[in-house]
Amino acid sequence: MSISRGDPLVVGRVVGDVLDPFIRLVFLRVTYRQREVTNGLDLRPSQVLNKPMVEVGGDDLRNFYTLVMVDPDVPSPSNPHLREYLHWLVTDIPATTGTAFGNEMVCYESPRRPSGIHRMVLILFRQLGRQTVYAPGWRQQFNTREFAEMYNLGLPVAATYFNCQRENGCGGRRT
Amino acid sequence: MLSSAKHNKINHSAFSISSSSSSSSTTSASASSTSSSLGQNKSQVTMEEVWKEFNLGSLHYHRQVNIGHEPMLKNQNPNYSIFQDFLNMPLNNQQPPQPPSSSSIVTALYGSPLPLPPPATVLSLNSGVGFKFLDNTDSLVASNPNSFEESASFGCFAKKRGQFSDESRGDRRHKRMIKNRESAARSRARKQAYTNELELEIAHLQTENARLERQYEQLKMAEATQHQVNKTLQRSSTAPF
Repeated sequence: MSISRGDPLVVGRVVGDVLDPFIRLVFLRVTYRQREVTNGLDLRPSQVLNKPMVEVGGDDLRNFYTLVMVDPDVPSPSNPHLREYLHWLVTDIPATTGTAFGNEMVCYESPRRPSGIHRMVLILFRQLGRQTVYAPGWRQQFNTREFAEMYNLGLPVAATYFNCQRENGCGGRRT
Repeated sequence: MLSSAKHNKINHSAFSISSSSSSSSTTSASASSTSSSLGQNKSQVTMEEVWKEFNLGSLHYHRQVNIGHEPMLKNQNPNYSIFQDFLNMPLNNQQPPQPPSSSSIVTALYGSPLPLPPPATVLSLNSGVGFKFLDNTDSLVASNPNSFEESASFGCFAKKRGQFSDESRGDRRHKRMIKNRESAARSRARKQAYTNELELEIAHLQTENARLERQYEQLKMAEATQHQVNKTLQRSSTAPF
């Protein structure tokens, strides 16, 4: 089901800053230590230290998926000149399985002492074939759209995001 | 007679025109709104001076003003040829002491409210702040026809006169305001997105809950009927010995 108006991904400007409008085709569930990520959920760095459990849907086991986790609000949401930062890249995830069965090309890096409130976006793409996606040379200045175009991933098939701020932070307020 | 509303309008139009032709402003919106806020401050000072000057009776300059002035009022678009002529007039009248007099104009503009010399009065009457700056540019740079670089000249004046804090304070305040506005917008978007997500989730969970309850009822009924069937069928199979 795709709701364009009021869709949290649109309202939160994930569609726009990071992604183009797309239709959810595949089930995606991201869970950090028993907490399921819902769009816009507030998580602190201590809660996302380790990689989450990711479950991928799909119906055909022959399909392989790529999961990308980026932060578009680096170094701070008011001045995101390093947009985006690649936190995690897992490829060749077979349908109906999860990231544990995929190929972790860029290992999971947890957000560290963010300034302001950052959106952490997880995006799922369907690959055209196995071993067709490769890691970039560095994490900064990553561009999800270009990445998808480069490896013929097309539009995303699923996405979710959460908000991450400093441990003792209150909103985006400095110190 | 100028009403203050009209006066401010002229300020705004002057600024939008000059800032569009300037090369050193960061964004036209911020430049025009910064300068317009500053312009309003300055125009308040100079309006008082203007009315003072009226009492002093410098009428012949006012007549000169009207020549260049009326087209401004009517069209709100500077006709450059007329404007240039108007600006050139003080130069022609006071050529030898030009630099000192223009600097005195600048002092009068930025310093404490003094009784202005007539050209300054003329300037303030004509256009408010925008044309004053432009005129100063012209007089200092000896009537360069392309000197409508408002923000560049303004920067020079500010540094020369040590009023740097005035300009940057306004600028900084303005930037801060924009940043705050964006931050507030992001905060609202964040809140709204999460609310929408929760509402979607509620709807989804409610339908699933309803579905599961129905399923449960059906299974319970099926199990109950099976029990009854079992009771009656207890002795169904006997060996044919």
